[in-house]
Amino acid sequence: MIEITNLTKKFDRFTAVDHLNLTIGTGEFFGLLGPNGAGKTTTISMLSTVLLPTEGEIRIDGVKLDRKASAQKRTLSVITQEYSMRQDMTMEQVMEYQGRLYFLPRHVIKERTQELLEFTGLSEYRKRVVRHLSGGMKRKLMVCRALMTEPEILLLDEPTAGMDAFARRQMWNLLRQLHSRGITILLTTHYIDEAQTLCDRVALIHQGKLDVVDTPAALIRSLGEFAVDEMDQDNLSSRYFGSREEAIAYLAGAGENAALRATTLEDVFVARSGRRLSGGRK
Amino acid sequence: MGIITVLWEKWVEFKRDFYKITMAAMISPLMYLLIFGMGIQTTSHGEPYLNFLIPGLVCMATMTGSFSAVAQNMSVQRLYEKALDQVMVSPTPLWQFILGQILGGSLRGFYAGGVILLLTLPIKTGLTFNGWSVLIMLLNGTVFATIALVLSFLAKSYTDAPRYTAYIITPMSFLCNTFFSTETMPGGFRQFVSVLPLSQTCAMMRRVAAGEGPGMAGFGILLSYLAVFSGIAVFYIYRKKNL
Repeated sequence: MIEITNLTKKFDRFTAVDHLNLTIGTGEFFGLLGPNGAGKTTTISMLSTVLLPTEGEIRIDGVKLDRKASAQKRTLSVITQEYSMRQDMTMEQVMEYQGRLYFLPRHVIKERTQELLEFTGLSEYRKRVVRHLSGGMKRKLMVCRALMTEPEILLLDEPTAGMDAFARRQMWNLLRQLHSRGITILLTTHYIDEAQTLCDRVALIHQGKLDVVDTPAALIRSLGEFAVDEMDQDNLSSRYFGSREEAIAYLAGAGENAALRATTLEDVFVARSGRRLSGGRK
Repeated sequence: MGIITVLWEKWVEFKRDFYKITMAAMISPLMYLLIFGMGIQTTSHGEPYLNFLIPGLVCMATMTGSFSAVAQNMSVQRLYEKALDQVMVSPTPLWQFILGQILGGSLRGFYAGGVILLLTLPIKTGLTFNGWSVLIMLLNGTVFATIALVLSFLAKSYTDAPRYTAYIITPMSFLCNTFFSTETMPGGFRQFVSVLPLSQTCAMMRRVAAGEGPGMAGFGILLSYLAVFSGIAVFYIYRKKNL
């Protein structure tokens, strides 16, 4: 279980994460959503101890996480937003370095490297230097690296950024498989459909503060499960309804350029972020 | 052990860049040797200047080799590649990572100094190089690798590494007992320069080269630098909020 209590990170006068409180259960697939600059990556960086909090703490299974907590860090693996690895090493060397950092025996490193590179279709490029890989290949390599250590907790910061639609689906399937094995997954993503498809619960954060935490279904229900989109000149506006009947009744009175559809998590995200923004202007 | 992991990583780098590393270690000292030692024939302290110069160049190569191996590598890993994040999140104890970097840097310095020693071997100078020389070279490399590590944690951009070389390594190369004795410097400045690590290393190396003992005061000063900068490096890696 990951317990985040009053987690705050300040950079000089700027507060990136502001008294964040979250509890992520063991084996849960949890999504952290928010607009650019909301504090998602900073939170992941604190969970991976690259950044230390200004205030508050993180506990993993009741033990405080800091840079000395080797036993807790053994359970963690991170896929960062940036390609954080040695650019002048070959794929095999990147994997071996990871295995060595986690004190894995040599034969285990070799076996898992072969297994994971084959699984992700990178095997034939194993002697290729990271610098010469495409963005998608680097991303896959980061996944292989993270899985090398068979983590109990996987922190994913925008794991599908830069991937094409096919590769994204492959990644989703992989994450589902990992989740089914009981791995706790914390995911940040810009792709709201990704969070809706994969996550058990999601948290929306805005300007470092927690807005709401719930299951995607509950969040959608809170807004209304049915949406009517109306196109008025250049402006698209949406109205949300708790029942199909209400939505159809509204649609009957609306103009020609109106359509009924199911509400998505993205609607919740946009509605809540928009409310926050307009609230901030007042 | 995390130390072995770091040394393995340094070994991978060394094997890959063997020719570049060797050439970089050789060129400057070789030029100084040819120009000042063999081109301009002169004497120092009643002996051929070459006898004064060679121990200084070996120490300088050790310093430059170890400093650049750590400063450039760590700055790039921390600020550009973000590869240090991989280490930070791993269970490898961070003090072992620090120690591995220091030992790895020291060995690279030793290699650079060793190359110069090998190159000067055919010159019949009568200088002595023995186990003390090896120890001094390793200790000097350790000190400068540690300084490099601290500076790389302070760097705000990966282009800071060459600046550190310009501000620290280049002045030390010329002032610290390498090309000329610090004895001729004016009072206060002489005292300042003579306690700098390279001055101590050069002085010890010359004593050994002349067939004497290295002198324990020099070891004391170098070990003090090592203790202070290792302490700072360990403090930064465990406590620096935004690494």
